[in-house]
Amino acid sequence: MTSIHLALRYFLTLTVTLSALTVISNDASAAGWGSLKGKFLYKGSVNPKEITPTRDPEFCGKHKLVEEDIAVGEKNELANVYVYLYTKRNAKVEIHPDYEKAELKPAVLDNKGCRFEPHAMTVWTKQPFQVHNSDQGIGHNTNATLRANGSFNETVTNDKPLKKSFQKTETYPAPVACNVHPWMNATLLIRDNPYMAVSNEKGEFEIKNLPAGEHEIVFWHEASGTMKNLQVGKEKAGRTGRIDVEIADGETLDFGEITVTPKLLGK
Amino acid sequence: MKLATQVNRQLFLSLLVLGSLGCTQGEPPQFRLNMISMTSNELDSEYQQEIANVLSGLFGTPDEPFAHPATGLNQLKLDLASGPAWSDKRGYSHGLYRQHCVHCHGIDGDGYGPTAKILNPYPRDYRKGIFKFKSTFNAAKPTDADLHRVLANGVPGTSMPSFELLPSSEVESLVEYVKYLAMRGQLETELAAYVFDELGVEEVEDESGTVTEQRIPFDPSASPDQAEAVLDILSEIVAGWDEAGENVIQPAEDAIPADNRSDEELAASIDRGRELFYGVKANCIKCHGPTGLGDGQQTDHNVWNKENMDYIEATTSMADSLANADPETEEEELELDREWALLKSREEVSDTLLPVRNAVPRNLRVGVYRGGRRRIDVFHKIHAGIAGTPMPGLGAAGPGAEGTISEEDMWSIVDYVLNLPYEAPSQPQRALPTNHSNITQ
Repeated sequence: MTSIHLALRYFLTLTVTLSALTVISNDASAAGWGSLKGKFLYKGSVNPKEITPTRDPEFCGKHKLVEEDIAVGEKNELANVYVYLYTKRNAKVEIHPDYEKAELKPAVLDNKGCRFEPHAMTVWTKQPFQVHNSDQGIGHNTNATLRANGSFNETVTNDKPLKKSFQKTETYPAPVACNVHPWMNATLLIRDNPYMAVSNEKGEFEIKNLPAGEHEIVFWHEASGTMKNLQVGKEKAGRTGRIDVEIADGETLDFGEITVTPKLLGK
Repeated sequence: MKLATQVNRQLFLSLLVLGSLGCTQGEPPQFRLNMISMTSNELDSEYQQEIANVLSGLFGTPDEPFAHPATGLNQLKLDLASGPAWSDKRGYSHGLYRQHCVHCHGIDGDGYGPTAKILNPYPRDYRKGIFKFKSTFNAAKPTDADLHRVLANGVPGTSMPSFELLPSSEVESLVEYVKYLAMRGQLETELAAYVFDELGVEEVEDESGTVTEQRIPFDPSASPDQAEAVLDILSEIVAGWDEAGENVIQPAEDAIPADNRSDEELAASIDRGRELFYGVKANCIKCHGPTGLGDGQQTDHNVWNKENMDYIEATTSMADSLANADPETEEEELELDREWALLKSREEVSDTLLPVRNAVPRNLRVGVYRGGRRRIDVFHKIHAGIAGTPMPGLGAAGPGAEGTISEEDMWSIVDYVLNLPYEAPSQPQRALPTNHSNITQ
């Protein structure tokens, strides 16, 4: 054992007690609130591969199933891009009273037509989470590989939704699968703050009422993971897929159209 | 410290064997880095070295393991299990892990010992901290008693033998060492993610207003923030182990079948179990097949094989995409050079991975149960599913949660499953109709 390792060990042992003393109080309230929005366009063509169901073909075959890894609209609007506030480990974020006041509906992941609906979703840890199975007479299981919260893998029946709550924030969206129907997949982002969005069918997203000030915003897509090299306005994301932004009180920062190239998604 | 990954694997292993024979005094074995974690997080050799330093500070080396207070591990047990294998004058064994385990599970507990390639199933890789055969809820860690039982009974139907003949104290030391390797391995992966997310380069402005990029070193002894983060990550991993006891699945007393059931009562329960086995609520037939021979869904993977498969696929698609790259600017060209270097390191890792194997559902007509053949063992599997595998649970996912079916029904499935190997003589068991074309090797 070299001395550097011993020094490190000694230090790490000491810090257990020290860290408790150095918690920085963070009770200053935000200097106002601002919002963030934008729209994703895909610069390429997508020809979603059709899926021939190998399990429950008589039921699942009735639904037109396609691969959903890149979902674009008629005018190449790119859906299912995650945009969310980056937070350092254990950092606390101020939450706008509107979020606190709003009645929280459960976030629902449905097994419907032999696919997950929605394909990409967010859950705030304050929100209850449910998994439904709307496919009458079809058995599904929902297998989510989470990191901070602990994974789950359970069968889901028609009459009894799975009810869950999450305690911890996840750094990235987690993969969700159904092992009975191998083509089924989705992603799920669990955060301990509500500052997150998934781009809709029109490619649009909006995050309302962020605390004013400097932040980093994460861009993530299931085909690429963190969206390295994404160009957002004048800024280009590094390997972590993050962009620096400054949110001003009472204003909405509009990124405008954000172009996503096939190369960026590894295509 | 020499970077462990630079040591040629074969040379390393042969030194290990020679060392244990006592012919030569080779270099003491070192922990190797988890290169899937390192390259997936695009960590350069400098960060890799720094992570190795931190792990070494917290956990020591294979010859001198350290039970850091935050882990709650027992130093005496680790000392007995670690280091070279030898016996003292009184006949007490030392270096138990290297005597009994290392040839399959590897020095790091990565399930990549010299014999791993020729075994099916592959030896368990402890570094994810996921264990299949346990009495706890799906996401929970196993209890010490669970690991002890696996060591004492072995895993029937696999190459894992029983260590029943070892003194209980030796088995306990090995259990402690397995936990040590699991904590260390999980911390390593989390640290790689932490360095990727929070360190890297930052822009620094000097007095004249010039902005330069500066590398943030990973050195918790110089950064209280980093030290706090490292200990926080470690304590979360340790908490999982500490809470295992609270996460044991306790079957409800009133649902446990009576010991003195009549033949009729047992037959009725088996019938109920059969109905559930074929029904959509329990849905067992989807994987275990209409015959129970394990001939349903055979193309899935457990988390260990899936990680390797995803890594190999991502590396291949990266190679395709780089081959077609057409850099236009100097900046893009530099970026491309970096990508090629990353691809090369990923390909080196890909080449060392064990061939990906499918998760083949258990043939339930053989009467061999890897997780134990007691009724309660089978009940635990049906209740929690099997962690790390495609098998989902039917019971509550944690204390206070609600399950998909009742415990009475789960016990009926236990009755049906345990009855499957014992069929009427007029219906002998068929061979497993494995769909070979679906199984990638």
